[in-house]
Parts: sequence; structure tokens; C-alpha cells
Amino acid sequence: MSPARLFQGGLVVVAAALAVYPFFGTGYGVRALLQLFMWIALAGSWNLISGLTGYVSFGHVAFFGAGAYTAAILITNAGWSWPLACAAAGVAACGLALLIGYPCLRLKGPYFAIAMLGLNEVLRALVSYFEGLTGGGSGLSLPTLQASVPIYYVMGLCAAAVTALTYVIITSRFGLRLMTIREDEVAAEAMGIDTARHKLYAFLLSAVGPGIVGGLAARDQGYIEPISVFPLATTITMIVMVLFGGKGTVWGPVLGAVILFVSQEVVWARFPYVHQLLFGAIIVAVVLLMPRGVLGILQIKYRLPRTV
Amino acid sequence: MTAALELDAVKKSFGGVTAVNGVSLRLEPGRIYGLIGPNGSGKTTLFNCITGVERRDAGRIFFQGERIDGLKPWQIAVKGVGRTFQVTRVFPELSALENLLVVTRGDRAAAERRGRELLAFVKLEQLAGEYAGNLSYGQQKLVEFVRVLMRDPSLVLLDEPAAGVNRTLLNDLLEAVRRLRDEGRTVLLVEHDMKVVMGLCEVVFVLDHGDKIAEGPPGIIQADERVIEAYFGR
Repeated sequence: MSPARLFQGGLVVVAAALAVYPFFGTGYGVRALLQLFMWIALAGSWNLISGLTGYVSFGHVAFFGAGAYTAAILITNAGWSWPLACAAAGVAACGLALLIGYPCLRLKGPYFAIAMLGLNEVLRALVSYFEGLTGGGSGLSLPTLQASVPIYYVMGLCAAAVTALTYVIITSRFGLRLMTIREDEVAAEAMGIDTARHKLYAFLLSAVGPGIVGGLAARDQGYIEPISVFPLATTITMIVMVLFGGKGTVWGPVLGAVILFVSQEVVWARFPYVHQLLFGAIIVAVVLLMPRGVLGILQIKYRLPRTV
Repeated sequence: MTAALELDAVKKSFGGVTAVNGVSLRLEPGRIYGLIGPNGSGKTTLFNCITGVERRDAGRIFFQGERIDGLKPWQIAVKGVGRTFQVTRVFPELSALENLLVVTRGDRAAAERRGRELLAFVKLEQLAGEYAGNLSYGQQKLVEFVRVLMRDPSLVLLDEPAAGVNRTLLNDLLEAVRRLRDEGRTVLLVEHDMKVVMGLCEVVFVLDHGDKIAEGPPGIIQADERVIEAYFGR
């Protein structure tokens, strides 16, 4: 059996196991996996804009927060059902990306990163300010609902959809064109590639996932406040997961999310005080020792196809 | 007949430095033109103005009779102006073949066939799957050259195509440039290697300090006193 077939077989087995898990697993297991799915979707989304075009977004959690508030407000104030509200959250995040991407994607390198950081801070301040709608600093409580298992499935679908989307993009010429922006934007333009439009498309696609996932997380947690849905730490975690797994690859974000999330849950939970310390050490180690990440290194060494 | 490219008093300065000082020139279709001049005479800036990488301060640029100054670089490329860069700008983490594929749309199998044909044309078919960044400088130069051809441009601007390419490949490259001309394309090249310029170009423009100081067939240009002065001093 070829490695590709073996991998596909393994994938089917894992997917099937995850699909039946809620019938046998513990409540804790379901919640942990639900969060893992969330991280896969977030890391994969960040990879779409930053891993492919090289435009490093330091405020990607803004789309997560915008999605969380959109869904929470629609559920609480307008009485929408959560699946519909979460779909609307994806649309809202996409709309925000359109609004902010058009001017900001003209900025290069660190300027774009800082602008995105600023966006996140502005959103957090806005949400705190409009108390009538958002509850301001005291947060927003959603009506009680026990829906962990359905949310588990939808979150899993989101993780799968983001990964599938990444696969489709990376193996397409659209994906190659996004990479030319990362490699050499001037040369890409000289080759007749409309880089502004390509960047915007990638940015829009990278915002949808965090929007929906933000809505799901809001519904799952039942309570949100500005500091819980707009934390810089979430953006940094997404970045570290992608860098660790391999930026610009299909499976890098998944690998990074799984390894970092599992080690966080299993190992770090037992050493609460060194948790942050270890996380920082990992960031430094990744940047110094393997800036391309695990799959990036294998990619170069063994000339793996883009489907990896 | 409509000119392949026409520049009308194109000017570009950076701060207080005038890089291109009101240059006018006209390229007839299907011929090979050379652009020479000492370092800093404005050759690359002129290329950048034509391809939209730099916006000219004044003057007009026409491609096949249509004004292109003010268009974005990608729009100019799509119209049929291809270029290479003085220091090669391949996409290093894309394979040689992927470097060529990025500009294509539609039938992918056909695009890959065409890409492999072009790589074979510069004898790089064995390296189609290699990352462009791992190729030698000369090979990158060739990849960049054939990448330009993927769009089937009618005007090709080559910035020092011969620099860093070894002798055996150089002859192939020169032959390839002549073939472009024979296919009806117009070529404008910047080159420091006078043998290449004299052997290839039908008309040569000479720039010095941003001014066009001479224009004509290579034989006459070589004997032009102003040109000799610009290169060697009085």
C-alpha cells in the first residue's frame, strides 16, 4: 500500500472514531476535542492568509471575537437559533475582513501585522463601549442550553472544512499565486498577477472560519466578555501552532494544533506554574531551530508533494 | 504602423536625483533593441517606468498605441509586456515548473505541457520539480526568462539577460531571443556585455545621466563620440 493510501485510510479511521466518540466518551473528552477542533480551524485559517501570502496577521482573533459577539447578540437579543447565528457570525467576520482588508492589505510586512493588532484592540474597545448591545465590560450571558454534542460535531466539521479548503487552495494555481506574493510580490505583479485581489480573497477566506468558530465558542461557553474573546494570546497560539506544524502546508496547522493542544492538556495541566514558561520556550525553540516547522523541514528534505 | 512601444518625454526622479530625464523612444514591432549606458544612467528605472513598477513623474508611455502609464504593473503585464529583472526574481520555494504555472489559467494539463516545453527549450526539463531557489544563478535566470514567455507577451524587456549565464547556455539564450523576434515579438534588452549587444540588437539606445544621448545601429553607435565619452570619459 502506498503511503498516500495508508494516510487516507488512517484519516478515514480517525474521522470515524471522532464521529462516534460522543456516544462512548466522557463529557470532558468531548469538550477537550471540541476545543482541539476549534484550534485546528483557527490555526488553519491563519495559515490561509499568513502562511500562504506571508502577510502576518497579528490580530486574527479579532474575527473570532467579532463572530462570538455577532452570534451571542443574535441568539440573546434576536432569538436566533445557534446554528443560524453562527453562520451569520461567519458572514459578519467576512464583512469585517472586507472592510479592513481593503485598506490594510496595502501595508507591507510589519505594518500590516501592527494594523491587525490595532484592529483587535479597536474592536475590543468598541465592544466595551456599546454596553446596550454587548453588555460592555460586564459581558453577555447567553440563554442556558445544553448543546455540547451538536457543537462538537459542527466544530469538527469546521476544522475539516478549513483543512479541506486549505488542501484545495494549496494544490491549485490560485494557491501558487498566493505563494508568489509571499515569495516576491514585485515579481508576482510583473507576471501579471493581481496581487491586491488575491490577498483580499485569501484574507476573506481566512476570516470566515474564525467567525463561525467564535460563534460556536460563545454558544458553548454561554458567557462572553471583551477580554475573553479578543485576547492577543489566542492569535499568538494560532501563530505558534502553524509555525510549529509548518506554515504554508495543508497538514502543518493540524499537526501543530494537535501536538500543542494535547501537550497543553496532558502535560502542562500538571505543571500550572511553568505552563506559560514552557509555551514561551517552545516559541523560541521553533523560531531558532526549525523556522519552517515540522512539515516544512520534511518538505524540503524529502520533497513531499504539496498535498502534504 | 503602430509602434510596439513609444515613450514620449518620460521623466522620473528620486528626491533630487533625476534618474530619467525626458526620454523619448520608439520601438517598431518585431525587432530587437538594446538599451545601454554606464551604471546609474537610468536603464533599469526606465524599465520600471514602462512596466509600472515605478510611476513616471511626467511624459507618456504607449504600448501598441494604447497609453499604459498609470496602469498597475499586473495590468501592463496582462496587456502583453513581459520582463525579467537585473537580479533574478524567481519564486524560490516554488518548483521551476510551478514558477511557470502561476500565470496560467484554464486547462492545467495543457499549461503543464507548455511549461515543460519551455523548460526543455532552455534545457532545464530535468529540473522541473526542483525548487527554483536551489537552482544555480544562471539556471534561475533561464527560468525567469521562460516564465516571461508563459504569457505569450508581444513585448519582452530583458534586464541583463546574459549576466551570470555560462558560455554554452549563453548561445542558446541568444538564439532564443532571436527566435522571439522571428515570432514577431519585440525585444528591448539592457546589457553590459557589448558583444551580446552588438551581435543581437538592430537598434541601440544610449542613456547617460538619464538623457538619451544616441540612437542607431550598433556599428554607428560604437563610433559615436558622445557614447565613447560617456563610457570612457573625455
